[in-house]
Amino acid sequence: MTDAATEPTAEPMSEPAAGQTRDLSNARDMIVCEDVSKWYGDFQALDGISTTIKEQEVVVVLGPSGSGKSTWIRCINRLEVHQEGRIVVDDVELTNDLRNIEQIRSEVGMVFQQFNLFPHLKVIDNVSLAPIWVRKKPRVEAEEQAMALLERVGIPEQAHKYPGQLSGGQQQRVAIARALAMEPRIMLFDEVTSALDPEMVKEVLDIMKTLALSGMTMMVVTHEMGFAKEVADRIIFMEEGQIVEQGTPQHFFENPTEDRTKLFLSQIL
Amino acid sequence: MTAPTTQERVSHRVPLWRDVVVLKWVTQVVLLAVVLSAMWFLATQAGDNLRARNIVSTFDFLERPIDIQLSEGIDTKPDTGARALWTGMVNTLRMSIAGILFATLLGIVVGLARLSDNWLISRLASTWIETLRNIPLLVQIAFYFSVLTTLPRVGLGTGPINGWFHISNKGISMPRVFIADGFYQWLTVVGVGAVAAHYVRRHRQRIQDETGAMTSPILWGMGTVALFGVIGIFVHPVFSWLGVPLGAIADLLDSLPVIAPQILFSVIALGAAARWITRFLSAHRSARGHLSISDDDWFRIAFATLAALAVVVMLVRWTGFSSWTLNSGRDLFEVLENKFDVDGAARPFDAMRPDIIQKGKFPNYGKSGLTMSIGFAAVFFGVVFYTSAFIGENVRGGILAVPKGQSEAAMAVGLGRGQILRHVVLPQAVRIILPPTGNQYLNLLKNTSLAVAVGYSEIVQVGQTTFNQTGMTLPVVVIWMLFYLSCSLSISVVVNWFNVRMKLVER
Amino acid sequence: MSEFTGLGADLGMSTGTIPAVASPQTPKLPPREWVRANLFSSPFNSVLTVVSSLIILAITRGLLSFIFNPQRQWDATATNLRLLMTQAYPEEQYLRIWVSVAVILTLTGLSLAVWRAGSAVSIANVGRRLLSFGCTLALFALLAPFSARATIIWLLIAVAVAGGGGTLRRLADSERTISTLALVLIGLSGLVGSLWVVPYGNHTFELHRTPRVIAEPGTVALSTKFPWTIMLLIAVAAYFLGTYLRDRGSLNATRTTLALLWLLMPPVLLYLVLRDPDFDMGHVFGTDIPIFLACAVLGGALLNWLARPSTGEIGRIVAALVLIAAFATFLTPMRMIVRLDLLMLAAFALAAPTFSGGPRARRNYVIGWLGLLGVMSWLVTAVNTPSTIEVPGQFFLGGLSLTLMVAIFTIVISFPLGLALALARTSNMPIFRLLATWFIEFVRGVPMITILIFFSIMVPLFLPPGMHLSEVAAVIIGYSLFSAAYLAENVRGGLQSVTRGQHEAAEAVGMTTSQKTMFIVLPQALRVSIPPLVGHCIGVFKETSLLAIIGLFDVLYIARNVMPNQTEFMGSTKENILFVSLIYWLFCYQMSKASQRLEQRTGLGER
Repeated sequence: MTDAATEPTAEPMSEPAAGQTRDLSNARDMIVCEDVSKWYGDFQALDGISTTIKEQEVVVVLGPSGSGKSTWIRCINRLEVHQEGRIVVDDVELTNDLRNIEQIRSEVGMVFQQFNLFPHLKVIDNVSLAPIWVRKKPRVEAEEQAMALLERVGIPEQAHKYPGQLSGGQQQRVAIARALAMEPRIMLFDEVTSALDPEMVKEVLDIMKTLALSGMTMMVVTHEMGFAKEVADRIIFMEEGQIVEQGTPQHFFENPTEDRTKLFLSQIL
Repeated sequence: MTAPTTQERVSHRVPLWRDVVVLKWVTQVVLLAVVLSAMWFLATQAGDNLRARNIVSTFDFLERPIDIQLSEGIDTKPDTGARALWTGMVNTLRMSIAGILFATLLGIVVGLARLSDNWLISRLASTWIETLRNIPLLVQIAFYFSVLTTLPRVGLGTGPINGWFHISNKGISMPRVFIADGFYQWLTVVGVGAVAAHYVRRHRQRIQDETGAMTSPILWGMGTVALFGVIGIFVHPVFSWLGVPLGAIADLLDSLPVIAPQILFSVIALGAAARWITRFLSAHRSARGHLSISDDDWFRIAFATLAALAVVVMLVRWTGFSSWTLNSGRDLFEVLENKFDVDGAARPFDAMRPDIIQKGKFPNYGKSGLTMSIGFAAVFFGVVFYTSAFIGENVRGGILAVPKGQSEAAMAVGLGRGQILRHVVLPQAVRIILPPTGNQYLNLLKNTSLAVAVGYSEIVQVGQTTFNQTGMTLPVVVIWMLFYLSCSLSISVVVNWFNVRMKLVER
Repeated sequence: MSEFTGLGADLGMSTGTIPAVASPQTPKLPPREWVRANLFSSPFNSVLTVVSSLIILAITRGLLSFIFNPQRQWDATATNLRLLMTQAYPEEQYLRIWVSVAVILTLTGLSLAVWRAGSAVSIANVGRRLLSFGCTLALFALLAPFSARATIIWLLIAVAVAGGGGTLRRLADSERTISTLALVLIGLSGLVGSLWVVPYGNHTFELHRTPRVIAEPGTVALSTKFPWTIMLLIAVAAYFLGTYLRDRGSLNATRTTLALLWLLMPPVLLYLVLRDPDFDMGHVFGTDIPIFLACAVLGGALLNWLARPSTGEIGRIVAALVLIAAFATFLTPMRMIVRLDLLMLAAFALAAPTFSGGPRARRNYVIGWLGLLGVMSWLVTAVNTPSTIEVPGQFFLGGLSLTLMVAIFTIVISFPLGLALALARTSNMPIFRLLATWFIEFVRGVPMITILIFFSIMVPLFLPPGMHLSEVAAVIIGYSLFSAAYLAENVRGGLQSVTRGQHEAAEAVGMTTSQKTMFIVLPQALRVSIPPLVGHCIGVFKETSLLAIIGLFDVLYIARNVMPNQTEFMGSTKENILFVSLIYWLFCYQMSKASQRLEQRTGLGER
């Protein structure tokens, strides 16, 4: 991961590679969306989304609320079912095939806005539950791995507490560890910092940055522009269920082409 | 950036045994098949067993004469099974309506007492609640019954208020007001009064809105109805001409062939299904005309179609229902015709005092007073006390659930204690109290069936006697279930209607 | 504080003991101000207070004169205690009843210790309650229609109790506490001790072949004082064993074992201990055990293979084949036990992928299969073995033991049924949802008595020729279906309280629907449903009184229809029913209080 291409901002997390984007054109296709559409009754949530996300690429999805960002990434691990078009994840197409769904679910990790930790289980059980019952790992091994992951997100001392006893930032870090415990190849982040108190945002973003630097393929829905500028390989701007504009952070923030993008940027910056 | 073709190992045909949609529906159909075949198995088994015992389950006993003596009701010596069961149903409804009325009143008192500032009163209410709801209702009814049976016998000149109010081991007898021949004509007058009251109320309301003067529109409306009620006592014979058109309707219904209601109901069923399906489809169509229908939606559409078709098939297969609706419609209008077809001298109401007669060896109550038999009294006290404990808890919970800030805010804008209760606390509390109280009404209705233990002739007791005599257990059970289900459904509908209204008021 | 002492405390105010009953959480006021604030705060309130105290005095006076009226035949209940508890269970076999009680008490003692039940109350508080109880007693003694001598004796007792309470309250400092369990133990010891002193029920009764029951002089206390003392000792010993296990052994394993024992207890006690089955050993060894062994070995091997993660899709196909085979057995003549075993195997096979895993997971799964198979085979054998207990009437239990048995079996059977109905009603499968909704709404729309009558009369008609089911069993089936519908609604509330996010999180980590339900949804939903479920259990217990209507010898039936017909106790209905009410009230009130405490305890621990 020497070609990690993030802009050197306040905190240099890695070797600076200013103004450069990584060349991922030779990388494998990780997620392919072709003309994906979805309706809720007569409301069209997704309208012909087509794009390809490469291995190790970090994509940040921006857009006003209700623009279909969350619906889209929830379609990618089939929490929602798309109605038209194709979604192919790691060479497996998302269809009604049970085997494909199981395979994709265990290869795609997801972190939610509301953490969604299991409140009746201790932190360590939250992390090791899925490896034990889905990956069929022996309990001892799964718990060792869970401890290692909790150390990686910086909260090994909380392993035997219940989620309710943790702060929001700590809970979100547990949620990231829980997703990582399945050893996913893709991570989806759905507005993970929106429900956090401001002082806890950074601890979660830091972990996401390290994760990005380690070469994880990531799709991030967020309102954190700093994070988008710093970490993203590509920014996708959505509105009304369509991809309006996409490009490198530099291109996106400095000279956007579409009027709607300019309007959006002027509202939030 | 367009997606390049990927080197997928994707086959577009999903094998059936791995397709989640196929699996989902196969599982359901298999379960449905298992349930249906189990039911079929039991039904054939029961059929065989019944045939082996020479019992043919039919509803014929409804028409046949029956030898049965009921404790009380509209007909204590009914001549047919249908008449006996009908008496039982009326008795159940009497008990339920009286019970619901008094349980509500007592429950409100208990709930408010529980909240009282007065320590003694609130402890008294909580003792009431904790004692009554932790003892089974049947035990309570049995206890009241055993106490009532040991009351002194009826004697001439007995009772706490002689000639007006008697208590004895034959029951409780008191004066009664009952509807007489002129009642329906009088009711028509009151109906006209209600329409008039509506306009009066609206008019007074408009004056109040425009001038700000307190015109008490509701009081005026009620006054109008009362006025019509009083006038109606004297002028009700003016409506006796209504008997003619009612009779004409009865004749019309009598002359209609059975096919008419069949066609009518079929058209209604099919039309309703078609309307539902078109609405459903248009709700699922996007602005660009795209239709997004999931497998569950297909099931709904198919189910609506099947339900309508099933109704049609049943109407054609069982003509009895159609002719029954025709006949009962005719009977209803004939009865109404007779009610209106009385001469002008009839009074709408009559009142009578209880009397005590001595036919044989022992004196007994005559027919003139309103007499609660001890069976009725035991069940009545049982369900009223028992239910009042639960309703009291609901009332208390509902009032406590209104946040304190609400009454504080009302106090801050200068409302008085009574106004706060009426305009702020009660409307919110009622919304919380109503749903569980509706449940209690349903429970009360079902609990009246415990009267079978003390021999009060309600539907279960009558039914039990009937099938003991005729052997028609299954038909009687079917009638029980249909009766209770329709009563429960009616109560739910009424309570839901109130609920929806309350929510609208809230907004 | 029980309601009656509460009522007494109401009355106690005139004797100047109000501070004694002021609840501990409110700041203590001096008596005079407390009275003013709570009883005479306004003219209206003062009138209310005066009027209601007069009413209370009148009611209490009336109740006491009803209870202590010399015409009341309280001998009837004292003499017929055994009838009320166990109906006609033969006296020479009575040891079986005591063994059952001992088993229940042992499990209770162990569980109380292992789950750390009970809390601490301050001794001063106990003293305060004793004081108010003593004052109530004194008031009752004054109001009751006693002779002068009896009044003086009762007053002396009351003064002693109140004085003891007052001294305790004054002497003990507020820090000193005592466990509620110890208090209960003291109370029970007092009761058992009184058996040795007071000859309760100096009548005994004799059962004849005919349903008529005749009471004869004797002593109930004499025959039970020895067993009850032993029972008390057993309970205490079990409690200390429990504390030892809790502190030394593995807590989780102990708790799981205890929970399993509680589940196994009702059928074991009923079919093995109380019913004394006359096993046909030739049949057992010749048929039952071979079938069990064959199913155990073959099924175990199959499940061990199916629970391998590597088995994959072939496993599902095999499981489906087992299911088809199980249904196919219903088309051919076959032993019922084989059919049941195959159905159970099919269920286990279908669930195998959910629980598959390493060798340890597989071993646990196979052990679960063997355990359930064993219990079921034994149950089927036991149910079909005739009993050697001979009693007049059709069922060998009656009275309170029948009430308890029906209640417990109904709850145990309806729990999984209700759970399944609730899951079906909230599932995303429309046909499941429809069937479950129809069933639930149908059952909830009709009174229970119609369902009981229907089952007690119609079940024999639904059975294939050659099969028999006792009326009690038929009633339990009907009652379980009835209770399941209500239970399903309680659980549904819990299921709906599990947020959408929890479902999504479980799906996002790749759990299958059954894993999600088992590990995420049900644990959370059931925790939320505990208070309504306890309420449901109280309801089930209360409604067992309806058995009297269909003529089963439950405690109410005996009180209403048997005891008043005994020559000695003609017309004792009122007293008997009051006694039955007291039994029901004690059970239900204690259960609802326990549920409130549980709610508070879990409410603190959660989130």
